[in-house]
Amino acid sequence: MSKQDTYDMFEMDGDMDKKKKKKQKKKEKLEGMKKEMDIDDHEITIEELEMRYTTSVTKGLTTTFARQVLERDGPNELKPPKGTPEYVKFARQLAGGLQCLMWVAAVICFIAFGIELARGNFTCFDDLYLAITLIAVVVVTGCFGYYQEFKSTNIIASFKNLVPQQAIVIRDGQKNQINAYELVVGDLVEIKGGDRVPADIRIITGHGCKVDNSSLTGESEPQTRSPECTHENPLETRNIAFFSTTCLEGVATGVIINTGDRTIIGRIATLASGVGNEKTPIAIEIEHFVDIIAGLAIFFGFTFFVVAMFIGYAFLEAMIFFMAIVVAYVPEGLLATVTVCLSLTAKRLARKNCVVKNLEAVETLGSTSVICSDKTGTLTQNRMTVAHLWFDNQVHAADTTEDQSGQSFDQSSETWRSLGRVATLCNRATFRPGQEGVPIPKRIVVGDASETALLKFTELTIGNIVEYRNRFKKIVEVPFNSTNKFQLSIHELEDPLDLRYLLVMKGAPERILERCSTILIKGQELPLDEQWREAFQTAYMDLGGLGERVLGFCHIYLNEKEFPRGFRFDPDEMNFTTSGLCFAGLISMIDPPRATVPDAVMKCRTAGIRVVMVTGDHPITARAIAANVGIISEGSETVEDIAQRKRIPVEQVNKRDARACVISGGQLKEMSSEELDDALRNHPEMVFARTSPQQKLIIVESCQRLGSIVAVTGDGVNDSPALKKADIGVAMGIAGSDAAKNAADMILLDDNFASIVTGVEQGRLIFDNLKKSIAYTLTKNIPELTPYLIYITVSVPLPLGCITILFIELATDIFPSVSLAYEKAESDIMHLKPRNPRRDRLVNEALAVYSYFQIGAIQSYAGFTDYFTAMAQEGWYPLLCVGLRSQWEDVRLQDLQDSYGQEWSFSQRLYQEYTCYTVFFVSIEICQISDVLIRKTRRLSVFQQGFFRNRVLVSAIVFQLCLGNLLCYCPGMPNIFNFMPIRVQWWFVPVPYGILIFVYDEIRKLGVRRYPGSWWDQELYY
Amino acid sequence: MAALKEKRSCGQRCEDFGRFVWNSDNGTLMGRTPEKWVYISLYYVAFYVVMTALFSLAIWTLMYTLDPYAPDYQDRLKSPGVMVWPDTYLEEKVQIAYNTSNKESWTKMVKILTKFLQPYNETNQLEYNNYTCTKGKYFFQNFTPTSHHIKRACPFTQSMLGHCSGLEDPTFGYNCSMPCVIIKMNRIIGFLPTNHTDSPPYVNCTVLDGHENVETMEYFPNKGIMDLSYFPYYGKLAQPTYVNPLVAVRFSLVKEKSAKIQCRVVSDKISYENFYDPFEGKVIFELKALK
Repeated sequence: MSKQDTYDMFEMDGDMDKKKKKKQKKKEKLEGMKKEMDIDDHEITIEELEMRYTTSVTKGLTTTFARQVLERDGPNELKPPKGTPEYVKFARQLAGGLQCLMWVAAVICFIAFGIELARGNFTCFDDLYLAITLIAVVVVTGCFGYYQEFKSTNIIASFKNLVPQQAIVIRDGQKNQINAYELVVGDLVEIKGGDRVPADIRIITGHGCKVDNSSLTGESEPQTRSPECTHENPLETRNIAFFSTTCLEGVATGVIINTGDRTIIGRIATLASGVGNEKTPIAIEIEHFVDIIAGLAIFFGFTFFVVAMFIGYAFLEAMIFFMAIVVAYVPEGLLATVTVCLSLTAKRLARKNCVVKNLEAVETLGSTSVICSDKTGTLTQNRMTVAHLWFDNQVHAADTTEDQSGQSFDQSSETWRSLGRVATLCNRATFRPGQEGVPIPKRIVVGDASETALLKFTELTIGNIVEYRNRFKKIVEVPFNSTNKFQLSIHELEDPLDLRYLLVMKGAPERILERCSTILIKGQELPLDEQWREAFQTAYMDLGGLGERVLGFCHIYLNEKEFPRGFRFDPDEMNFTTSGLCFAGLISMIDPPRATVPDAVMKCRTAGIRVVMVTGDHPITARAIAANVGIISEGSETVEDIAQRKRIPVEQVNKRDARACVISGGQLKEMSSEELDDALRNHPEMVFARTSPQQKLIIVESCQRLGSIVAVTGDGVNDSPALKKADIGVAMGIAGSDAAKNAADMILLDDNFASIVTGVEQGRLIFDNLKKSIAYTLTKNIPELTPYLIYITVSVPLPLGCITILFIELATDIFPSVSLAYEKAESDIMHLKPRNPRRDRLVNEALAVYSYFQIGAIQSYAGFTDYFTAMAQEGWYPLLCVGLRSQWEDVRLQDLQDSYGQEWSFSQRLYQEYTCYTVFFVSIEICQISDVLIRKTRRLSVFQQGFFRNRVLVSAIVFQLCLGNLLCYCPGMPNIFNFMPIRVQWWFVPVPYGILIFVYDEIRKLGVRRYPGSWWDQELYY
Repeated sequence: MAALKEKRSCGQRCEDFGRFVWNSDNGTLMGRTPEKWVYISLYYVAFYVVMTALFSLAIWTLMYTLDPYAPDYQDRLKSPGVMVWPDTYLEEKVQIAYNTSNKESWTKMVKILTKFLQPYNETNQLEYNNYTCTKGKYFFQNFTPTSHHIKRACPFTQSMLGHCSGLEDPTFGYNCSMPCVIIKMNRIIGFLPTNHTDSPPYVNCTVLDGHENVETMEYFPNKGIMDLSYFPYYGKLAQPTYVNPLVAVRFSLVKEKSAKIQCRVVSDKISYENFYDPFEGKVIFELKALK
């Protein structure tokens, strides 16, 4: 993380050598990061630790020294990722593929204007207007795009927790509460249940302290924290608590060993910011499209340059023609159309709780072929919940849905009553007071995850736990510890006449069973013989195999004589019966999948999208959840399963037979990237467990190497590098950490994985519709260009002016082209495979050729028909027009004769030219109405799609006509924008051509539908 | 994806392009097999042949519907334009500047006028328009005395311009400071300049700048009148020999011998205040005689 690296990252250009070096450096940096994690603060003794940080484990730092350290190290907070400065964000809006095209066009216009000026032509300001308009369009759409992204950034920013965190610190032997950002290395801090760990801490003392590391590792199971060093890996050892993880219960004190960006979390966050952003698929498509446009423009321009030279124009004039043609090829309106279409979809997605940070990311989900999903919090609820119970020698399934809409189990058995009582009483978790209105699953609980699960479960099944517990007064309890692995408590009975005490116990099932001699079956206490033990074993294995955490429960009524009322129970000595108990049952818990997930995964699969689970959790749990949500489908086997079934060694199994595959982080570390690619290729259903943030990155890279467009979903800090690396990173809005949200391109406000499916659908739809919009927008390029070509070659009076073209591009045709974004899908797009980024381009050759040389050609014919009509009816026969240009444009000729011998002054001719502009404009408009109708579908007949189903499109056509009429007939227009009030019948001249376009396209579509794969289909389907 | 994102070297790009031009694996030339190229070319040839045929049909229909004698609409020709000869410009303004001591400079003007008056010479007019019109009345010709709709046109001879006819003074006054200019109003089919037969349109010139430099203005024919018998115009086909009536103005310049002059054709149906058409119903020019 040296300065050199940051410098390197911003150095964008450079030759290949440099790039390679950069890559190497990046790798080194990743490696370096791993090494940097090899801290030894957890291994050294307390005394050494005190020495190292000149602190004391009893009195803490001195205030003055702490201040010095604070000055040296800076505050203890994550530096916000070096946010792109606003002006860079804005500049980026101005530098896309289309934008560059328009900049180049504007520069060409300026050059052409300069040449004209130098030649002494002071009247021709069209080039200047065009240049200014081009720049204005780029800037305005840039502002629009910037504003859109700014708005979504704001939505995301509003999620940030602004309350400063507090921490209890001991300095000079005094306990103080200070803001967490003032903490420094060496500070002695105290954490207790419910606190967020304020920095990386080496634990000095701990009492039943458990932390939730899920944001760091993805593991939802609480981890115990105690002073002993249990592992050389700092991430695994028990005596380090990490910054930003939550302390669930217990208390601990510890010495801060890292603050701010030097903490593990801080480093992961920095890692994320080091990962470069990939170009979005739509940006690639647009670049490809710009290539096509630019190629055609230069081809056309050059052809006519040669033609003009051949006809006998001067070089400079021919050069100006060349430039004008190139500029005329720029679809000015397209940029606005694309931006508006994308932001419309972004808005639609926002309504469905997907906020898109980058407009272009809207489409990316549509092209996604692999989703790498984190498990905890994304696929699952990130909340331990009771899933199964085993009593009466039977497994009962509990309701794990978020809203308790599932089925409950049979609660009539006497055994359940006892089991429920044990689960209720032998539980230290309590609800935070004042949550009566909150639904039970959502209430906040003080206690560890499994106790919380049990508490909520019993509250739901038995009801009012507080009162229930009051009835059984607690006499004594022994909390859980890692040596005996059980927890027990002794209660008085609710019946005041019954003077026996009730001992209830829960713990690791095998330890509980050891202490039992009887088992409750249907309320009867039966001796625990081999048969029951076997039944227990089976149940335990089954539940464990589901990836669930299993607890055993037992109880005993203590002998009244031996333990009379007032007996002094000693929890340390355990001077009471702890064996020969009565086994009540097993309860297993899991972090259950969200209700909507299995359905969403299914939809993804039908849409040809592969869902890969990448989690930090254990392989068994991961696999169970994967099977549960459908990532591993029913009947799919892993290599190990096949080996077991066939009773052959793992090596002999043909890997291709196994659909599913579970790879743990440890295995992944041993694999080369080729092996990983192989695994991803061979097994369609993949689960990666126990992965580190770097490994997530590697997996994403591997998928991308295989040609997939990868979406990554995640919520934790550990996901953020992968989120950044992915083609589209999707973070969770509620559960997601800030780091994840910063790295992501899209945020699910409701944390609902199912929203991704909506995103995919919308993304695919917008891709289809953008194709239609572009086809629509491109078509009119030809009727805008041909007048100029004819003007040059045949020397007719100019049929269509520059300002009029701008009005078509930027006023009348914008709304219809945007309205195509509202078009419904032609087929069930969620049953198609994701598009192949190599083959299914946004703009392919067929689209461009069909639009330009067929529909565009018809439109040109329409325009010229109308042009010649208007000219002839006003006195200028078509043949007279040919070669008329030099006289027509002569400012000094005031009595030019028309075909009837009438004499025209220059201004009269000019207004006649404006009439032609308007007539040509009207022709293009009429043909474009037909064009927008045919663009509604690419394959289906418009009659099948429905003419009026897209209301926006209908209103767009009406709007287009109204605007056209306004431009034509508004007084003052002739002298401002060169529109003339034309004769009404000239509106109808192009109508037959419009009908021709419609009929021709219907025939095309019919051929495409009837003869798929035929020559017709290949050449004419776009 | 990776392949798409990869920065390809120039060599690779060229190679790719080469493969695009000729791919020997599947025998495609520019993305198509030669056979397919033939098909697609034929398709396009057919397409354009059909389209051009349709277009020609449309233009033919258009021409068929047109009246050969008069245009369907005269939307732009509500009021005729007016121009002055010699039509010499300085940039976009008419400027008649000459140097009396420089023969070359004033003969240029003379040549323009002589050429301009060519169709108006007696022989021409006698040959084509040998017809005596009733002066002071519109010359309506509803019936057709001659075949093929040919209508008569009133003669306008050079001599009607009096001192400015170039007959008495072939220099049109350009050898001294008394230059003649000729004002012509554009012809428009069916245009009648006034509703009142008693007041024919006439040319009126006013000095806009340099009053003191213009001593007198003389109009030819008398009062600068354009006789009503020259109206209406029936079009090139019906009146092939039609000539516009002209008005000549002789200025006598004094002192600085420079003035800005507006000559207007005064008539109630000729507008002259169109800001956007400076030549509608009037002409503004600068007259400069240098020594």
